[in-house]
Amino acid sequence: MKKHAITLTVNGEERDLIVSSNRTLLDALRDDLGFTDTKYGCGTGECGACTVLVDGTTSINGCLTLAATMDGRSITTAAGLAHDGALHPVQQAFIDNDAIQCGFCIPGMVLKTISILADNPRPTEDEIRHGLEGSICRCTGYAKIVEAVQDASHRMAGVGE
Amino acid sequence: MTSRVMAEFDLLLPYSVSEAVTLLASHGDKAAVLAGGTDLLVALKFDYAVENIISLAQVPGLDKLTYDPEGGLTIGARVTLVDILKSADVKEHYPALWQAAKVFATPQLRNTATVLGNILRASPAGDCSLALYALGGTLTLESASGRREVDLDDFWLSYGVTARKNDELAIALQVPAPQAGQKSAFRRMTRVTEDLSKLNAAVCLQMDGDKCLSARVAMGCVGPTLVRLPKVEKILRQAGITPDLLQEISDTVASEIAPIDDIRSSADYRLKVAGVLVKRVIMLALNGGNDQ
Ligand SMILES: Cc1cc2nc3c(=O)[nH]c(=O)nc-3n(C[C@H](O)[C@H](O)[C@H](O)COP(=O)(O)OP(=O)(O)OC[C@H]3O[C@@H](n4cnc5c(N)ncnc54)[C@H](O)[C@@H]3O)c2cc1C
Ligand code: FES
Ligand code: FES
Repeated sequence: MKKHAITLTVNGEERDLIVSSNRTLLDALRDDLGFTDTKYGCGTGECGACTVLVDGTTSINGCLTLAATMDGRSITTAAGLAHDGALHPVQQAFIDNDAIQCGFCIPGMVLKTISILADNPRPTEDEIRHGLEGSICRCTGYAKIVEAVQDASHRMAGVGE
Repeated sequence: MTSRVMAEFDLLLPYSVSEAVTLLASHGDKAAVLAGGTDLLVALKFDYAVENIISLAQVPGLDKLTYDPEGGLTIGARVTLVDILKSADVKEHYPALWQAAKVFATPQLRNTATVLGNILRASPAGDCSLALYALGGTLTLESASGRREVDLDDFWLSYGVTARKNDELAIALQVPAPQAGQKSAFRRMTRVTEDLSKLNAAVCLQMDGDKCLSARVAMGCVGPTLVRLPKVEKILRQAGITPDLLQEISDTVASEIAPIDDIRSSADYRLKVAGVLVKRVIMLALNGGNDQ
C-alpha cells in the first residue's frame, strides 16, 4: 500500500508525518500525533465523536476523511482551544452549565458549537438543535448542551461588544 | 458485525483533471473516484475493496458553483452540500435543491459530501439527486477520449449503477435556467432527522396563473432507482390545480411506484403515504416554500 509524506498544521503547530493510503485523519490524529481528545465512536459519520475543524471553523468527521487528502491543511482539535491556560469561552460555558456527563461527546460538541457560532453568532434554539445534528450524546444531556451553546453565544457576543 | 477498518488500497492524488482522467484510463475498473468520501469510505469500511482510489482533493477547477440567468446552474464535481445551502441563487431559483440540502445528513457531512457524489452513488434514496431529477440536468463526463453529456433522465440504470463508464470522471452538472413561472420543492420523510429518507418526493412545475404548463414529479425509496411519475405529471398538465385534482393525483401515485419492505419502512406504509407526500410537495412548490 502506498505511503504519503504529509504536513498537517494541528492546533497551530506544523507536523510532518507519513501515513498509509487508508489511514483516516482520526487515526492519524489519535495514534500518530497523540491527539486523543478526538474520539472514535461509530467510524461511519453518524455520532460526531471524531469531529475536528478544518481551516478554522468548518466541522468535519475525522473518521470519514483520509489523512493523505488533508496535506497542507490546518486542523483544530478540542485540545487546541485553550489559550495561555484559559479555556475557550465555549469550553467554559459547557463546564458552567453542567453540560458534561461522561465527556465522550464533548470535544465534538464544543467544536461543533464553535462552527455554529462562527456562522451564526446568535442562533435560536431550533438553529442550535439543527446545528448539533450529527453529534450524539450517549448520556443524552441535550437540554444542558443547548443551554451551554446559548450561554457561549452570549459570552462571545459580550467579548466582541 | 464489522471491524470498520478499511481494506488496503493505493491512494492516488492527481493535480489536474487531465491527470485524473489519465489515471482512470490506465486503472479503469481497478479504481474508484473519491470526492467527499462519505459514501466511499463507509463502503470501504464494510464490504467494498478496490486497488486504487483517485482523490479529487488536489484537483483545481472543480469547486465552482455558478448561476447565470440564461445558462442556468453549473455544479462542479467538488461542490458540497454546504456550498448549495450558502448559495442565494440556488435558494431563489432552485428551491427544491436548496430544501434537499437543508435536511441532508449532518453539518459535518454537508461540509464534505458533494452533490455529484450523491448522483454518482445512484442510491434510490439520494436527496439532492431527487431534487435535481425534478429540476432536470445534464452531467458532463470526461475520459481520455473526450467529453460527453448524459441527461439525468438516462443516467441511473439500476440500484447503484449509472451510465458512467469506468474510465470517466464526472466534471459538472448543468441545470437549466428556470423557465418563467417555475416553482419547485422537495420533501422527505425520515425516522429521525439524521437518517436517510424512507420516502422522498420532488417537483418542478411551470405555472401560468393556476394552470400548469409542464411538470416533472420524482420520487425516491420506491424502487431500485429514483423514479418519475408520468401519470401524475400528465394529470397536472390537464387543468388548473384544484383540491379535486390534488386528490386525483394523490390517488394515482400508488399505481406508479413499487416500494419494498426494509429497515426504514414497510412497502404497505410507503404505498399508503406516498400520495399524501406528493400532494404536499406540490402544495409546497405552489406556496413558494411555505409549508402550509
Ligand atoms: C451518516 C450519513 C448520513 C447520510 N445522509 C444522507 C442524506 O440525508 N441524504 C442523502 O442523499 N445521502 C446521505 N448520505 C450519503 C452520502 O453522504 C451522499 O450520497 C453524498 O452526497 C456522497 O457524496 P461524496 O462526495 O461524499 O461521495 P463519495 O463517497 O466521494 O463518492 C460516492 C460515489 O460517487 C463516485 N464519484 C464521486 N465523485 C465522482 C466523480 N466526480 N466522477 C466519478 N465518480 C465519482 C465515487 O466513486 C463513489 O462511487 C449519508 C451518509 C452518511 C455516512
Ligand atoms: S466516529 Fe466519526 S462520526 Fe462517529
Ligand atoms: S456526555 Fe457522555 S456522551 Fe455526551
